[in-house]
Amino acid sequence: MGKTSKDKRDIYYRLAKEEGWRARSAFKLLQINEEYDIFKGVLRAVDLCAAPGSWSQVLSKKLRQNTDNVDDVKIVAVDLQAMAALPGVKQIQGDITKVSTANEIIQEFEGSKADLVVCDGAPDVTGLHDIDEYIQSQLLLAALNITTHVLKDGGVFVAKIFRGKDVTLLYSQLKQFFEYVTVSKPQSSRNSSIEAFVVCQNYTPPPGYTPTMANPLLDHKYCDFNEFTGVNRFIVPFNACGDLSAYDSDTSYPLLLEGQTTYEYKEPVQSPINPPYKEVLEMTKNLQINK
Amino acid sequence: MSLLLRTDVTSLKFYKNFILAGIGSFLSVIQYDINRLLQKLHVLKGQKIYGIVPCNDKLLIFGGKQYAVIKYIVNNTFELCLEPTICEDWLHSGVWVGEDRVALLTAHNVVQIWNINQNKLNMKYVSMDNSILYSGLLVPLADGVLVFSGTVFSEVLIGCCDYQITPLQNLKGHKGVIFSITCNIEKQIIVTTSDDRSVRIWTVKNTVSHENNTIKFWKNAMISCEHELYGHSARVMSNCITNDFVISIGEDSGIVFWDFDGKLIRRVSHTIASVWSLDANDKFVITGGGDCALMLHPSSVTSKDKSQEVIKLNLDSPKKVAFTARRNIVTINESNDFVYYDVDKKIETHFKLEHESTFKLLGISNCKQLIAVVDMSGKLDIWIENCKRDAFLSKIVDTKLDIGRILSMHWADNRHLAFCSNNGIISIIAANGNSVEVYAHVILPLCKERWLTACAYKNETFIAGDRCGNIHVFVISQNEPIKSFKHIHGRYGPTSIVIQQNCFVTTGRDGTIKYFSLKPLKYLSSKEFDFQWVECFVDKNKQYICGFQERVFVIYDLLLHNKILEIPCGGGHRSWDITQYKHKTEKVLCEYVEFMYLKSSSLYLERYNLNNIVSKPIINGSHSKVINCLKTICKNDAETLFISGGEDTTLRISTNIGTEFKDVLIYKHLSNIRTLKAVMIDENRYILISAGGRAQICVKILSIEDLSIEEITNYMIKGSDKERKGNNSWRNCAVDFNPETRIMDLDVSVNGDEFIVYAGCSDAILRVFQLLTIYPHDFKLIKEIKYHDTCILKTKTVNISNRTVLISCTSRGIISVFDEKTLDKPIFSTMVHSSGINSLAIKVISESRLLIATGGDDNAIHVNILDLGECRVVSTWSSTNSHCSQVTGLVFADEYLISSSIDQRVTMWRVCVAEHVGCEYIQQVYSDVADIQGIDLVQVNGTSIQVCVFGKGLEVLSLEMK
Repeated sequence: MGKTSKDKRDIYYRLAKEEGWRARSAFKLLQINEEYDIFKGVLRAVDLCAAPGSWSQVLSKKLRQNTDNVDDVKIVAVDLQAMAALPGVKQIQGDITKVSTANEIIQEFEGSKADLVVCDGAPDVTGLHDIDEYIQSQLLLAALNITTHVLKDGGVFVAKIFRGKDVTLLYSQLKQFFEYVTVSKPQSSRNSSIEAFVVCQNYTPPPGYTPTMANPLLDHKYCDFNEFTGVNRFIVPFNACGDLSAYDSDTSYPLLLEGQTTYEYKEPVQSPINPPYKEVLEMTKNLQINK
Repeated sequence: MSLLLRTDVTSLKFYKNFILAGIGSFLSVIQYDINRLLQKLHVLKGQKIYGIVPCNDKLLIFGGKQYAVIKYIVNNTFELCLEPTICEDWLHSGVWVGEDRVALLTAHNVVQIWNINQNKLNMKYVSMDNSILYSGLLVPLADGVLVFSGTVFSEVLIGCCDYQITPLQNLKGHKGVIFSITCNIEKQIIVTTSDDRSVRIWTVKNTVSHENNTIKFWKNAMISCEHELYGHSARVMSNCITNDFVISIGEDSGIVFWDFDGKLIRRVSHTIASVWSLDANDKFVITGGGDCALMLHPSSVTSKDKSQEVIKLNLDSPKKVAFTARRNIVTINESNDFVYYDVDKKIETHFKLEHESTFKLLGISNCKQLIAVVDMSGKLDIWIENCKRDAFLSKIVDTKLDIGRILSMHWADNRHLAFCSNNGIISIIAANGNSVEVYAHVILPLCKERWLTACAYKNETFIAGDRCGNIHVFVISQNEPIKSFKHIHGRYGPTSIVIQQNCFVTTGRDGTIKYFSLKPLKYLSSKEFDFQWVECFVDKNKQYICGFQERVFVIYDLLLHNKILEIPCGGGHRSWDITQYKHKTEKVLCEYVEFMYLKSSSLYLERYNLNNIVSKPIINGSHSKVINCLKTICKNDAETLFISGGEDTTLRISTNIGTEFKDVLIYKHLSNIRTLKAVMIDENRYILISAGGRAQICVKILSIEDLSIEEITNYMIKGSDKERKGNNSWRNCAVDFNPETRIMDLDVSVNGDEFIVYAGCSDAILRVFQLLTIYPHDFKLIKEIKYHDTCILKTKTVNISNRTVLISCTSRGIISVFDEKTLDKPIFSTMVHSSGINSLAIKVISESRLLIATGGDDNAIHVNILDLGECRVVSTWSSTNSHCSQVTGLVFADEYLISSSIDQRVTMWRVCVAEHVGCEYIQQVYSDVADIQGIDLVQVNGTSIQVCVFGKGLEVLSLEMK
């Protein structure tokens, strides 16, 4: 496979490299913003499961436009793993299921709460769809749980979901915390992918709700099997977002895009650090040398 | 109602003399000694089964957030005794803690105790550490329950249930998520597997003497990682501890047997798909995978089931070896020694040759009774092996041929020897009594390396393969070939040729077998393997094919579509031979293979009992990844054909008779297959067109009677790699600025023998091809329609009032309708969905009106009446709340519309068409198939409609018409 073939196969992969984003997912947040204007007036934002950091990059670029004084903008990126540093982004290497992490975030905001919380985290998929969907929903709920500690009333929460067989359960849970919940699919997310994003607006926790980390938030369950199929299921509002003139992630584009005269191959902006298979790769590499 | 379900096998259990297999929400009960499916029990609701835990006659079944209890009753049947109960969280493990009580471990590290008689939650033990678990295990002890929790932070926590889960131990070391934990209390070992590709065996020791099934013992135990084992090339999903082994399974399809000292004992493959589940008893291991297969592996160590000996012959540097009919060995060296070795009696018989040249060839006839030795000058000796009593050889021919310098010798059958000399001259010699005669001469056509690599002779037909990979067919009376097939087998030439009834088969070192028909003389099809060097068939039935994968000798079973034996031997360049036979021992008919090879002047002989080592399918496997496209053909009442193409780049033609589903033919594409069409051309034959990634389109003719295939074309829009590159090396190739498109969907308009194929491509171009279905077949691009802006997801043609209309849908939710005569511009175009259109169904409802149903990425279904005369939508209906995920399949059947979605629901609507269109909700059912990519109508059968949904597996559903 030539090194340009990935550029040809995926327009957003290529654009991300050309525009200096660490991952193509940067475009997803940008397109969600185009539709919902989620960055409007936002000065304090939290990026959960931030590595490799493309959403933090977007936040730092976009939020600076909201103020004359760059120091007003506070962005906190949380991830279990270390990620390469980004200017203007405070990194917390921590677990989002711990109160200490929530406190650290609030400390960073000098006691104030966040205007916006985003989460683009996804587990390594196993290939068994129901497990992947469950784990993804738990990740989202863990993100929601810490969000209830750090998000101001009226704030916005954006997170990745998998639209699998039980997405209605997750949706009904989110509806308890936010006035508006929409499932949204940016143009830069592939048509064939089950990935989508929930855009939750106007944070209004149920009356008397006290945020706690002691018990994890669980997604809802079917109260009885009559809700399982048929017309009594929750309706999940769906919205496609992104400008229609934007590139389409399923389309194959030539290397010379319309209006371009030259093409230059670019290396990825940030390569992965410390994957779990690192050791085994090194071991097999040594084995081959010893052969 | 589910008529046929094939999807991931996610749980397995040996129970009494049954195999219990969780496939989707069903439990299959298989009596494995007779390999019969006894029962299919619907246990959970809309949830895969992940665990089966027996306790006497009751079995706890769990998966997702549900558990249920079934009971074994007499007559080999099981029945549900506790309906599925919903717990609030995902379950990882369950054990019985009493006659009527079960303990369940949830994914947030909570142990729940349920009373199954009252169906009541009795008790709940929570843990301080409640982050998400990827795996867990409950082990009942004499005085409580031991809890193992595999966390996302690469740790295994061990605790026990007091008033909460009290932590006892913490195992650190893994570098990734923990996928499985098993524990054997008696052996005092724990085995864990992980995302980091390792299997770890932990030993549990205690200096104080406590019973090892007490909490005290575990509280004070010292647990250390004794072995950190790497034997998988991908994530290790699960493991199992037996009396003799630790067995681990992985995403790489590998099943690895380890002993308790951490030594890798044996490695076998499930198939090629990832393995999800396993269980083992003392005799067998069963594995279930992502390809729907359930495989039964003999639980043995290869070394116990093979005999290996190194035979030291009294002979200086043997050069060539071969098996005779009685499985004795003949060998020659360069210094005129010829040895016949009786393997049983270990007796060598030496013959002295009188050859002038040191270049000598050894050849064995197909019956293996005749042994020929020739040198370069033409000195030929032939021996025959006697059949009965003591084994010996007698020389029957001793002659000098006068046909010039001999380059190669091949037996063409049991009587004819073919010699190739200079200038491609082939002399075919017949052994006639004690002498030989030149029977015929043929001449290889001019080519770069003009000599024979394989040949075969039958009924006046001689087929020869040359070193340039060409195959030539001769009739014996003519020197020149009557037909040559160019470049069939790459640059090493064919390795073997076999003539059968009305066809012949060739193998080559390009990793393929090629099939030809003799009358009419034509190329039919090719079969590809993942090992490059395909040598020959091993057995008479042509079930086994052998070859080399680098340094390993491989035997592949063509019926099982799987490798059955791999022997590391150094590679095919050494002299070697293989023989296969059946032998009855203790009333059991066993199948053996013997393999020998020369290495550093020693002869290695290995004998394998296939019965003890070959894995057999209990349920046949199929696609290892998602099925993207599928068509069913009802062959007769009892048999349905499934033609499917998938993400695993294979096109499969499978039959379903009764409960047995089996892939009969498998063909490979270069990339994933996204679309296929089957068009009937006569009662027995269909044109199959499949297409997908790398802009590849393959056209075949399928005869459904005998399930044979004739390949018509293998077309790539930008040409094959070789055509594109020409003679340039990759360095000199300029960057190609145009993308390689994916073919997303195609449809056909039939005009006699001429087909017009419309292909919707990912580069937004609609390509039009012309296909001639009669000889000489032709497939060519005739038009490119550059109307669309984005990826075309669906294309369909429809005939209405003597005109053909083409409809295309894009990833921006736009439908366009083209007239076949004016393809440049659509006659109608409109945006229906807010994002991509993933499914399309069309029905003609009047002379000028079409009913167009579309399902989108936006979860919506739209049904429009389009008037072609007025070019406008006359009436429209839509539903946005019937599915909560992409709608990927739509089909009209009778007066109904059936939709399917990634949310695993199949919805049935009654369509009412008058001046307006409306759809009435009839019913919705759940399918166990995840990632549903589409739906196909199988048949409308009296009061019900049968449809097949496909994705990660397939399911045939019968929907009652109400």
